[in-house]
Amino acid sequence: MNARSILAAAGPAPVWVLAAAAVAVYGTLAQSYGLKLLAIAGCYTLAVLGYQFVFGRIGALSLAQGAFFGLGAYTSALLALKLGWDFARTLPAAIALAVALAAIVGASVLRLGSHYFALATLAVAELLHILAVEWLRLTGGGNGLPGVPGFRLFDFTIPAGWPAALFVWIVVAMGALLAMNYAASLYGDGSRLLRAHPLAAASAGIGEPGRRMAAFLLSAAFGAAGGALYVHTLGVVSPEALQFDVMVLILCMTVIGGRNAVAGAALGALLLVHLPEWFRAFEQWALFAYGAGLLVCIIAAPEGIAGAVEALWRRMFGPPRVAVLAAPAPPSEMAAPPPAGDTIVLAAQALGIAFGGNRALTGATFHIRAGEIVGLIGPNGSGKTTLLNLLSGFYRPDLGRVLLGGHDVTALPAWRRARLGIARSFQHAALADDMTALDNVAVASAECGPARLANILRLPGRDRRRRQARARAFAALEAVGAAASAGKRGADLGTSERRLVELARALVAEPKVMLLDEPAAGLSEAEKHALQSLLRGLAARGIGIVIVDHGMPFLLPLADRVVCLDAGAILAAGTPQEVAADPAVRRAYLGGAAP
Amino acid sequence: MIHAATALLRFQHVSVRYGPTLALEKVSFVQPPRSVVALLGPNGAGKSSLLKAAMGLVPTTNGSIQFAFRNITEEAPEARARQGIAYVPEGRRVFAGLTARENLEVAAFASRAERKRRFDRVLALFPQLEPHLARRAWQLSGGQQQMLAIGRALMAAPTLLLLDEPSLGLAPVLVEQLFARIASLALEGTGVLLAEQNAAAALAVAGRAIVLRAGHVVADDTAAAIRARPELAESVLGTA
Amino acid sequence: MSWAQILVDGVALGAAYALVALGFVLVLNAAGAVNFAQGDLVMAGGFAAIVLASLVPLGGIAVPGLVLAPMVAVAGGLAGWLVAEIAYRPLRRRPPVAVFISTIAVGIMLQHGANGLFGASERRTPPMMAGEPFAFAGLTVSRQSLAIVATAAIVILLLHLLLERTQLGRRLRAAAEDPDMARAIGIPVRRLTALAFALGAALAALAGLLLANVYFVTPTAGLAFMLKAYIAVTIGGWGSLRGAVAGAFLVALFEVIAARLLNASLADALLYAALLAALLLRPQGLFGEAAGRRA
Repeated sequence: MNARSILAAAGPAPVWVLAAAAVAVYGTLAQSYGLKLLAIAGCYTLAVLGYQFVFGRIGALSLAQGAFFGLGAYTSALLALKLGWDFARTLPAAIALAVALAAIVGASVLRLGSHYFALATLAVAELLHILAVEWLRLTGGGNGLPGVPGFRLFDFTIPAGWPAALFVWIVVAMGALLAMNYAASLYGDGSRLLRAHPLAAASAGIGEPGRRMAAFLLSAAFGAAGGALYVHTLGVVSPEALQFDVMVLILCMTVIGGRNAVAGAALGALLLVHLPEWFRAFEQWALFAYGAGLLVCIIAAPEGIAGAVEALWRRMFGPPRVAVLAAPAPPSEMAAPPPAGDTIVLAAQALGIAFGGNRALTGATFHIRAGEIVGLIGPNGSGKTTLLNLLSGFYRPDLGRVLLGGHDVTALPAWRRARLGIARSFQHAALADDMTALDNVAVASAECGPARLANILRLPGRDRRRRQARARAFAALEAVGAAASAGKRGADLGTSERRLVELARALVAEPKVMLLDEPAAGLSEAEKHALQSLLRGLAARGIGIVIVDHGMPFLLPLADRVVCLDAGAILAAGTPQEVAADPAVRRAYLGGAAP
Repeated sequence: MIHAATALLRFQHVSVRYGPTLALEKVSFVQPPRSVVALLGPNGAGKSSLLKAAMGLVPTTNGSIQFAFRNITEEAPEARARQGIAYVPEGRRVFAGLTARENLEVAAFASRAERKRRFDRVLALFPQLEPHLARRAWQLSGGQQQMLAIGRALMAAPTLLLLDEPSLGLAPVLVEQLFARIASLALEGTGVLLAEQNAAAALAVAGRAIVLRAGHVVADDTAAAIRARPELAESVLGTA
Repeated sequence: MSWAQILVDGVALGAAYALVALGFVLVLNAAGAVNFAQGDLVMAGGFAAIVLASLVPLGGIAVPGLVLAPMVAVAGGLAGWLVAEIAYRPLRRRPPVAVFISTIAVGIMLQHGANGLFGASERRTPPMMAGEPFAFAGLTVSRQSLAIVATAAIVILLLHLLLERTQLGRRLRAAAEDPDMARAIGIPVRRLTALAFALGAALAALAGLLLANVYFVTPTAGLAFMLKAYIAVTIGGWGSLRGAVAGAFLVALFEVIAARLLNASLADALLYAALLAALLLRPQGLFGEAAGRRA
């Protein structure tokens, strides 16, 4: 291990540590105004961290983050002023109220499309603002309420100045730890894949609606916490805290700082809070400049400054190599005996679907047994991919049923079927670019589920499930012959490597049946031979395999049975030789009288 | 032997890449004017990629494309359309929300009088469209949409018509009628490059045929010669 | 205040909102993206009218809005073209949320640019034509209200004719449906998308000129217009031009009625609450989401 690989593995963390140290040094030297600014930057950092959950990691454009911030501010201030509560009680109350609101709003609108969600959150935010201005008796109306006390914990008041600033940043640090745990957990990896490739994520079993709700609730909690800290730092609460300007500020901080890096949150907040101070003369043009900065960043640097630093670091020192992997996979699941050769694992009964008047598939009835390889062929537009999508749950049929091991799964969405044992690969292998091949596979391991969100409460590095998932992923990569690629980033993999990694991802979930869409496309002759042996090996384990491919030399020697589709109906089925010789099949491909 | 100097369309060592996959590798061929050339081959052979490259819808990494003696390799699709190349993609892609009449009108970059003349000619070629002119394009049947898409391409009075799998999803009777019209187009002066899976129908109307396989040209000859080689049929089915 | 009067006021407001909503839908269909700067373009139109009014030399006579209207429309068109070039074109291959954000950025720049140039105080644009309001049947109809309805009606008619009867309009619609196929026919899609942005912004600017005479304009007025347009389009059916107009009138009538019963601010709150209810019950709006829309 030379210096270069140590630096590569560390990522740009040394940069952040140095920056944090610089800020700390500045903190010890700053006067009261400077310390107040520092504290305010901390409050915004917390809000941005929260926004990163919903906007960065899930990719949903919520416009309510400023509202959660303001709501937290008002809740904490009002409880302190009217009921005399100390911060130890107002903070959890502020968080709880915001989370409750988010739960109600989220339950109603998260399932709608992205622009509806943005609009709904915007409407909620504006409603809250109007409420704060109009409800004079409670909120003091447009002028707000002065005299909000500083941080009181039980009987002890934290003095203003550096103790208060330090307190704020301690809370921020706790939040940052939580966020880092999320990002570094198996659950966080799943969210990454979901954002980058929703279809591939579904086929890996990720897509449950709870995931987006969890991200939205986290954003509300963090936003409210930031607001609560803000109002006790400032000493006054007013409807300004609920104006759309706050949302805009948080958005700018997130995009400019870096929407996917915890360090980016602090970076964005510190920068945008201090810039108007440094350029006093242009203070009133500060927000104009932020708008310009937002525009430039969204076009040229979508991962923000933090993302640019990470990319630069990678360019200088190379990508970090994931240490792989001494821990053996838990033996019990790997050695499950293959099911009896005659069991039907997947069956389609009279499936039919039409797209706007076009009958894409009619009366498709077919089945596949354990350990069988079935080839699906047919001319362009005959319905092969449609059938695959119906079997895996990406389309809902108009007629007919899909049975997995005898159970009717027709009503289940794709991610649910994936967890029950239907694995699917796509024509263009969809891997998350910024994750290693190993993590791309690990994400599909059965460990990645909603209950695992609790993992983010662990200390970083202690995620046992992630290690187990990685061990299983490595075993799967070994089984497909791609173990050498395990540590490479998704963006750096070649075509055949991507294919194999996708196969490993399909394999790691211990599927009962694999549906492969053109797995041999783009592979060399040698690679195709290797794939044939691999698939035979998988079938020997008892997995039923359906392969759609156009290459007859690849498919015919491999398949036990072949089914030919034409114009949405099954034309012929039988052994490969029978089907290839069938005059109807030849007519479908060649047209007219066979030569 | 086709002399390059009389070529309407000329590909020289053209390659097309999709990421790491090579869809076309150093493909060369010549399309003579006023002819129907059939482009055959199994799925994934590169027929669509070749047509898209000719239209400029995909970038080429190698080689040059010449149309009527002009090097069009770097030109955008809009420019190529204006020079006389028309494209009918796989799956028709008519403008669903526009009426059939509007679909035709929108493609003509000419004076109103000329536009009317071309419109009448398209209707003469496809009289079945007449009763449906005022309906939205999505309401038309598959066969009608195919005729509409070809009619739309013809409204630009092209010298070269690129057709990608026009027989897809059409009943055999319609396919026969359609291909008969394609043959007459060439006689009237429009060259046709026809990518088809239905080799028999295509060979019946084509003068020449090019067979592609895995991005390479494996045969380039008169239609009669191609018809007479049964092993090429196997090649199309992919069982060779 | 009679209900007939409310209706009159609501119709005038609705006509102006219809311009804003139409401009929004034009861009939505052409670019598949939400132009969040649409509301701020309304505000910018109001300020542009004020600036132009001070520039046009009429020897001390107040410049009527009618004279300013074409100039404001052109200014709006230029601004829209600029937005297309800097906020849409670089991002057209990215998911629609990127354009959502880039237009938020443009909106921020417009708002704070106006704040820096003009300050936060309220301004008023000149009326379309000077004169006393008309009174009949117990109703007071200001000339401005009439002018708003007349202008909006003319503009909407022209837009309809453009889109339905001209080659340009057909090409715009084709490019909006399937840009790649349109390109393959020779349609200059890039130019037409920029045109859609320009038209949308011109409509917004005109609305700003008209509205800022009845209601004051401040640099922060943009967000409210944006929300109203967004609500109108959502209620009317995302992507539908007819729906945009219908939604705009509904929003305006609701606003005017609610403002009579409560104050203006609470009327807005009620509107947003009604929007949330509508999203829950019938998210596809009155005319349904047009087939094959992106964003």
